[in-house]
Amino acid sequence: MTPPIARAFLVLTLMFLGGIARAEAQQSAPTTGCQTCHAGLQPDRLAAPARAFALTDVHRDHGFTCVDCHGGDPTATDKAAAKAASTGFRGKPTGAQIIGVCGRCHSDATLMRKYAPKQRVDQVAEYATSVHGQRLATGDSRVATCVSCHGAHGVRLVSDAQSPVYPVNVATTCTKCHADPEHMKGYTVAGGAPLPTNQLEQYKTSVHYRALAERNDLSAPTCNDCHGNHGAAPPGVDAIANVCGTCHTVFASKFALSAHSQVFDRGCVECHSNHAIAQPTDEMLGTSQGALCVTCHADGDDGFKASSSMRAGIDKLKTALGHSQEQVALVENRGIEMGDQTLMLREASNHLTLARTEMHTFNPKAVETVITDGMSLTAKVDDAAQAGEREVSYRRRGLAVSLAFIMVVVVALRLKIRSLEQRG
Amino acid sequence: MTEQLYAWLDQRIDLSGLQHFIAEKGVPVHRYKVWYYMGGITLFLVGVQVFTGILLLLYYRPSSEEAFESVKFIVSQVPFGWLIRNIHSWSANLLIFMAFVHLFSTLFLRSYRKPRELTWVSGVLLLFVMMAFGFSGYLLPWNELSFFATKVGTGIAGAVPGVGHFMLRFLRGGDDVTGATLTRFYGLHVAILPAFTTLILLVHLLLIQRQGMSVPPSVERREKAGEKTPQMPFFPHYVLHDLMWWYVALAVLAALALVFPWELGKKADAFAPVPAGIRPEWYFLAMFQVLKLLPAHILGLEGERLGVVGFGLAATVLLLLPFLDRHAAEGRSSRLVTVAGVAALVYMVVFTIYGYVAA
Repeated sequence: MTPPIARAFLVLTLMFLGGIARAEAQQSAPTTGCQTCHAGLQPDRLAAPARAFALTDVHRDHGFTCVDCHGGDPTATDKAAAKAASTGFRGKPTGAQIIGVCGRCHSDATLMRKYAPKQRVDQVAEYATSVHGQRLATGDSRVATCVSCHGAHGVRLVSDAQSPVYPVNVATTCTKCHADPEHMKGYTVAGGAPLPTNQLEQYKTSVHYRALAERNDLSAPTCNDCHGNHGAAPPGVDAIANVCGTCHTVFASKFALSAHSQVFDRGCVECHSNHAIAQPTDEMLGTSQGALCVTCHADGDDGFKASSSMRAGIDKLKTALGHSQEQVALVENRGIEMGDQTLMLREASNHLTLARTEMHTFNPKAVETVITDGMSLTAKVDDAAQAGEREVSYRRRGLAVSLAFIMVVVVALRLKIRSLEQRG
Repeated sequence: MTEQLYAWLDQRIDLSGLQHFIAEKGVPVHRYKVWYYMGGITLFLVGVQVFTGILLLLYYRPSSEEAFESVKFIVSQVPFGWLIRNIHSWSANLLIFMAFVHLFSTLFLRSYRKPRELTWVSGVLLLFVMMAFGFSGYLLPWNELSFFATKVGTGIAGAVPGVGHFMLRFLRGGDDVTGATLTRFYGLHVAILPAFTTLILLVHLLLIQRQGMSVPPSVERREKAGEKTPQMPFFPHYVLHDLMWWYVALAVLAALALVFPWELGKKADAFAPVPAGIRPEWYFLAMFQVLKLLPAHILGLEGERLGVVGFGLAATVLLLLPFLDRHAAEGRSSRLVTVAGVAALVYMVVFTIYGYVAA
């Protein structure tokens, strides 16, 4: 390649790349007349929306501009002309207007198919069933609308970690209002008591929060997983088991078989609470101090006997499992291969988990069956561990005999060498 | 009957000549004679490896699907299989340890000096082959630790300038450690390396028998001054000494195999996360640790590559030591060789311990 051609190629390449960069800039940040004026306005509340919209906004990224929500004429250079009634200017939407503005596109399946074909289009219908929607319909303007959770300008995708409705951020977003006693003043629960404002405080002590916030497990539940998002409402007492059962399927199906499912007013919450769900322990079951069963059951009644029996079975398997694990570790350390027994112990451990699941039927016989199967596994492992112990003793005796024999030979050889050396 | 058999053999292979050679052969007796037995112990351990290795071959299956299971079967189901495997594993480590002891004793006593240069070269080659045995045998149980250690080890081979990539692919049988690597290492371990060992070992032993035992330069100087070095007959005196040391080695081996059984670990899983504490066998640890400590780039060159070249040069110097040490050929001890030998020994001990502590 000759130098002039090389230079021409370089210039063309730079022009091409420059063209792409300019085209991208134009596509990513369309600037309208609204933004041109608002960016320099005082006070700052008038400039902030233009600034936020220019930085990051999913709507802007798809080519939407201010007028799509606010109306007006962005081409007009005069404020009065830009906001004339004939331009459809509607200013800052509030309350029910917000639902209408957002829903105009988000409830339009044809339009949404062009931008986010998999996104649902029933948010407005769902919202109407929510406590927020129902109160808004009665004229309560303090309730949450779309912008309360998603933001108005600078709206991000739900999958964006900086979005206020990204799973890890949901609890903080909801409790902007729900943890504010001033904001929540006047709102009550079904019985008439004031609506609590300590949900976030309680949630932060829960096993669900730890999974979500500390282990970054996005499948762990936050507010909307139990209450719904657009249709947010407290789950009805008859729906709690279903709500928990969305994830804890097996527990829910076992609980559905139990007598308690007919008796417990609040389903799972009766034992596990709602926002402050702690790591369940075996100590919750039974009749000892700290057990939950004795809250309702008294000594001598069937429930008392059943819980006592189930707890005893679980403790029995847990102790047997611990003992067998110790035995296997001991024998393995001495060089006996216990791979099959380790697998058996894993199976026995699964039985312990099964027993803990099965107890949600509150049927001692069902739990006992699982425990018996688990115990038969630990018994087999114990037999193998004892056989391993005998093998270790046999090997040690063998080593002692071999070393003694070798010692005798070494001494004999040493004596023979000495006698040879003495003979010269 | 015995006499008739002896006479029959004597007519055909001149047994009386051999008998005469053995009867006449003497071994010098001096304050350093204990080091003569180190080579004998190493030879005994080679025998143990061959014997136990053949027994293991009867049950071992060299494929990624069956290797781990077959070793598990050997240690749990085959009568005394656990003993054979433990002895094979411990003997391999003791063998390399004794080979190093033999090498350093030979180095400090300058036994490599003229006319024993080729005995030294064959001995160093045997040490390299033994280390290759260790490297290839480590993978054969196909457990998690050996799998990832082989990945790291073959990766280091890939850093050799020029032929690195070829060596990596040649060793692994592809770009990654797979069942193909296991098959290659198995072939190397049970066929190629034993063939090399037989050949080099025969040369090594033949040279020793032909040239007799070397005496240290200090003893040689006294001999030149007219002092006579006492001798002991090779047979039966020296052979009985050797036998006694072999029994001691056997006792140590049996005790180690029983008191510290060799772990089988978990089956290798290429998709599992790399377990903590991945490191090679102890005899590669000092080198591995240095490569780990080297910065990514030294004077614009890749640090690991430079380290590998350095070790290659060190191995070459070790191999050619008899030809580089002019003083030894003249029957004098070079201070430089002594200092380098002590430095190498200290480096190996310190960095091996450091490797274990740092892991």
